[in-house]
Amino acid sequence: MTVRTRLLDQAVGQAVGQAMSTLSATARKGLGDPALAELVVIRASQLNHCAFCLDMHLALARKYGVSERQLDLLAAWEEAEDVFSERERAALALTEAVTVLTDGFVPDEVYERAAAHFDEARLAHLVGLIVAINNWNRVMVTRRIPPGGYTP
Amino acid sequence: MTTTEVTATKTVEYAPEHPARLQWAQLAPDVYKAMIRLDTAAKQGLDHRLYELVKIRASQINHCAFCVDMHTKDALATGESVERIVQLSAWDESRHFYTEKELAALELTEAVTVLTDGFVPDEVYEKAAKHFEEAELAQLVSAIAVINAWNRFGVTFRMAPGHYQPGQRG
Repeated sequence: MTVRTRLLDQAVGQAVGQAMSTLSATARKGLGDPALAELVVIRASQLNHCAFCLDMHLALARKYGVSERQLDLLAAWEEAEDVFSERERAALALTEAVTVLTDGFVPDEVYERAAAHFDEARLAHLVGLIVAINNWNRVMVTRRIPPGGYTP
Repeated sequence: MTTTEVTATKTVEYAPEHPARLQWAQLAPDVYKAMIRLDTAAKQGLDHRLYELVKIRASQINHCAFCVDMHTKDALATGESVERIVQLSAWDESRHFYTEKELAALELTEAVTVLTDGFVPDEVYEKAAKHFEEAELAQLVSAIAVINAWNRFGVTFRMAPGHYQPGQRG
């Protein structure tokens, strides 16, 4: 596989790349939980099949101390009740709903479950983070950026 | 809020309007500001008329009512035809309303928007690459991702359609 366009890494796309980085950093900071942020970002990248993003965020998750067991079972978190906290589960359910918009809306029960675990400002930043990784997933998958280019 | 419309013959009462779940832009002004900056950077150099079609189509696929309201009104206000807007949800069967370049952009929009069902096929990407020079194509990909981002905020926080005035967000 070859990369489809590198222009977003160069001058023409620098403003876009920087703006995307700012969006991600802002959302992460407001959420204030780097380990949870990685679980959310990895789950969205699994759903969107972004190899570059998975490679990068699995490395970051390990750096932030996310356990191997959580990373192993993340794709089946609903069936792994003892491995993820209620707060993590609420965030992951919201991640899936916000990522797969084409099949339906974000159900009340999913939204309310997240709202029970995150105050309003944190919830707004959590959704911001889910949106930001979806944005990266789209850009990286479309440009077919291969995994392996990232070192934490 | 309930909207009641009185016509010559009968009164029609519509279903009540849902309130938004959260005023996210006020609660996370830093995120909102970053989105505005990203939006501005992504659409740089893109044809405005073409990008409105892309925004409407992505918003349809993602079911973002607020976004459909905004972008159809903006498109109409800047001279887009009702016919081209109405036919967008069936563009593959109404190709003669659009240019080949617009069709390539719409096809790419669908592939980039529905990532969970697969990747972005070579034939779709190549077709777009034939009609857009590389810098413009890089901007188009960024811009498709950005309307997807707005759609996610609109749907998740259930922003209500119907109140947008054309040109309000430029």
